[in-house]
Amino acid sequence: MVTPVPWKLLDDVSIWSQNWSWIPQPTRGPVEVKRSSCTLCANGCGIQIKMAGGWPVGVAGVARHPISKGALCPLAYGAHQLNWHPQRLTTVRHQASTSSWAAAQAAFSKACSEGTVVILDGHAGRAASTILETFAQKCNGSYRFVPSPEERALAPYQEWSGVATNALGYDLENAQTIVSFGAPLLDGWGTPGRFTRLWAEQAAGKTEPQLRLIQIEPTLSRTAARAWQWIPIREGAESALSSGLASIFIEEGLVSAKYPLPLLTLAEAADQSGVSIESIRSLARTIVARPPVVVIARDANPEIAALNVLLGAIAAPGGIVVKSKRAKPFLPSDSVIGSARAVLIDSSVPWEFVPHTDAEVFRFAAWDGGSNRADWLLPAPGFLEELTDIPTAPTSAIETYAVAPALTQSSSDVRNAVQFLSGIDSTLPSIEKIIRTRCEDLFHQHTGSVYDTEVSPLSKFESVTKFEESLWKGAIWVGVPPDATRFRCELKEWPAPTAPPPPENWTKTWAAPVLPPLASKLYQESSLREPPAGRNS
Amino acid sequence: MNAGYGMVIDLDRCTGCGSCMIACSAENNVAPTPQATPRTGITPILVRKVSNRMEGTARREAFVPILCMHCEHDTPCVKVCPQQAVEVDKATGIVMQMPQRCLGCRYCMTACPYHARYYNWWDPVWPAGMEKSLNPGVASRMRGVVEKCNLCHARLHSAKEKAAAAGKRVIEPADYVPACVEACPTGAIRFGNLADESDPVYHESRSPGVFRFLARLGTEPKVYYKSKEAWVRELAEANSGRGAEAKHG
Repeated sequence: MVTPVPWKLLDDVSIWSQNWSWIPQPTRGPVEVKRSSCTLCANGCGIQIKMAGGWPVGVAGVARHPISKGALCPLAYGAHQLNWHPQRLTTVRHQASTSSWAAAQAAFSKACSEGTVVILDGHAGRAASTILETFAQKCNGSYRFVPSPEERALAPYQEWSGVATNALGYDLENAQTIVSFGAPLLDGWGTPGRFTRLWAEQAAGKTEPQLRLIQIEPTLSRTAARAWQWIPIREGAESALSSGLASIFIEEGLVSAKYPLPLLTLAEAADQSGVSIESIRSLARTIVARPPVVVIARDANPEIAALNVLLGAIAAPGGIVVKSKRAKPFLPSDSVIGSARAVLIDSSVPWEFVPHTDAEVFRFAAWDGGSNRADWLLPAPGFLEELTDIPTAPTSAIETYAVAPALTQSSSDVRNAVQFLSGIDSTLPSIEKIIRTRCEDLFHQHTGSVYDTEVSPLSKFESVTKFEESLWKGAIWVGVPPDATRFRCELKEWPAPTAPPPPENWTKTWAAPVLPPLASKLYQESSLREPPAGRNS
Repeated sequence: MNAGYGMVIDLDRCTGCGSCMIACSAENNVAPTPQATPRTGITPILVRKVSNRMEGTARREAFVPILCMHCEHDTPCVKVCPQQAVEVDKATGIVMQMPQRCLGCRYCMTACPYHARYYNWWDPVWPAGMEKSLNPGVASRMRGVVEKCNLCHARLHSAKEKAAAAGKRVIEPADYVPACVEACPTGAIRFGNLADESDPVYHESRSPGVFRFLARLGTEPKVYYKSKEAWVRELAEANSGRGAEAKHG
């Protein structure tokens, strides 16, 4: 080219085209930053939301947050775009056709009068949970909780000790050796920032780390790749390997416990797991070499949980600890669903959860993940669109309480399960009222601290109103650290083998049926992750 | 004093979670393009998975975030751009890309030794209503231009405005942190002024075990990496030629 004219013309067209009417322009308006807690899952990480013109335009972590410590999962960074996801539910649907809230309420009222209703909650302990439970009691129905994999992994201890699963947590900060049976500790397990920050400080890049992470998993996962030791085993052989380890713990006197003896012999465990007897022996010695030790399963597995009993990791620093004396045990949902007339599923229940029933299903969800049976699909508020409180995270070792107010409004007529039920029974309490009561309860205890821009003891607050105001503005109340509360965990015989759960990571365990659109950067525009199977995004 | 903003990325801390990639795209208004592939998508920071190519228990993997290295010397993309759409900001050391000047010839993409530049194949389109979630500090770029990391230049502007409002001429380091650095859950990505001896990143970039990819090209990239894993360092040396780093001290 001898003349720059064509290039200049192209350049001008480019600049001109940037101002075409259909090119999206960012929102104009005052910019402010608000603090709250993430509501994508039950872990309630601290978030700061950049708002422009009243709309959320960016999400970041809160460095001062006592649990998440400024870190978030990848999804949270694109969560503010979720409310405009193409699969957002905007209208009531009844068996694939459009319906109305009035029709849905009439149908649910009719079901309540005709038989038992079951209400399913995926995030127990919230103010909304109390209201759902109250409604279930008033109409002689059942309120049940659908636990996450992390909560299911703690379930065996409830059975053995009588302490509620949601009262238990992992004292990771005091552990020196963490043995993970496939739990994605560095890939969205529990409150993501809690373990990743701990690992980064105490283990990352160190040949002799302060915290030893041993990952037992068939494949070299993200967590296995960063672990101090990776022990590859055969798919589904976690129970066999835990039996083998238990045999050696008892046989070599590595633990003080003398029973229960596992059902498998060491040779059988080695054969089933694909790990040689010598390697199992070496692993067992390595595990006990640096106490305190805690073993973490990725889902309910009593045989893996039994290792913690043998290792003395129950009610001990660096092990499984009691964080709350107030928690109520959750009840399994499967036993009651079968005979129900109707099942109401709160939007906090993972989309993948499908109740096996012929009952009429009323399902709340902000996003439609497709391929999931529900007679009524009811559009629920999306990210930051509803007021909720955030009780203690499932794996946390200390009690916490926070409030996540509605920071933005939905452009369509959405309702949560509480608003829906309040339309049927106007005597139900409001979420605001229950949050107020909980703040009063905490305030009158005078224990714990409030993490705001500064950390203040709760006793410094002049009134419950001031305390509640600070929570509404993004502060978090943190209880006292776990004391040496002892509880007995009886295990008279080795647990029966269980079927292994499918592999987990954040693309599968997140409660909502869709991912933020920008998550495609990870699994579509790079080779970092496999596309989330079965998700319709 | 002129700044020389750069990074030190601790590969031993990177878990490959990808938070940096999503935070970067959200901050810089990169549109979600359902049709995009690894070849056609826009990922100003891209985490690549590398391995020691062994199998079984001997296999090791690491994650390497790749972004514009903001080359300081003979910056290849600057040299080939016919439109002067790329320039090195002498005040900050940031290699700036100006989409208004870019005509989309993609010479710079060819010239970039790190493949850290991306062509904008499509008009920026968001699902209906999602434009309300765009960051007001960053304009969306038109189809047909090249994109890359600019170290979240909008955040630098905000920091300068804040400093000016306070009557200061120098920004507070805490006020200017790129989105990827802020989002990294393990603190693997550290950002700072490599020209400032009081900055911790200055010293970290000169600590043992620190290396740069393709250092033998002599472009003085301002993104440094570190790892205690010998095979990771050997990977970089295989790229950059043995002893190349020694020349750069």
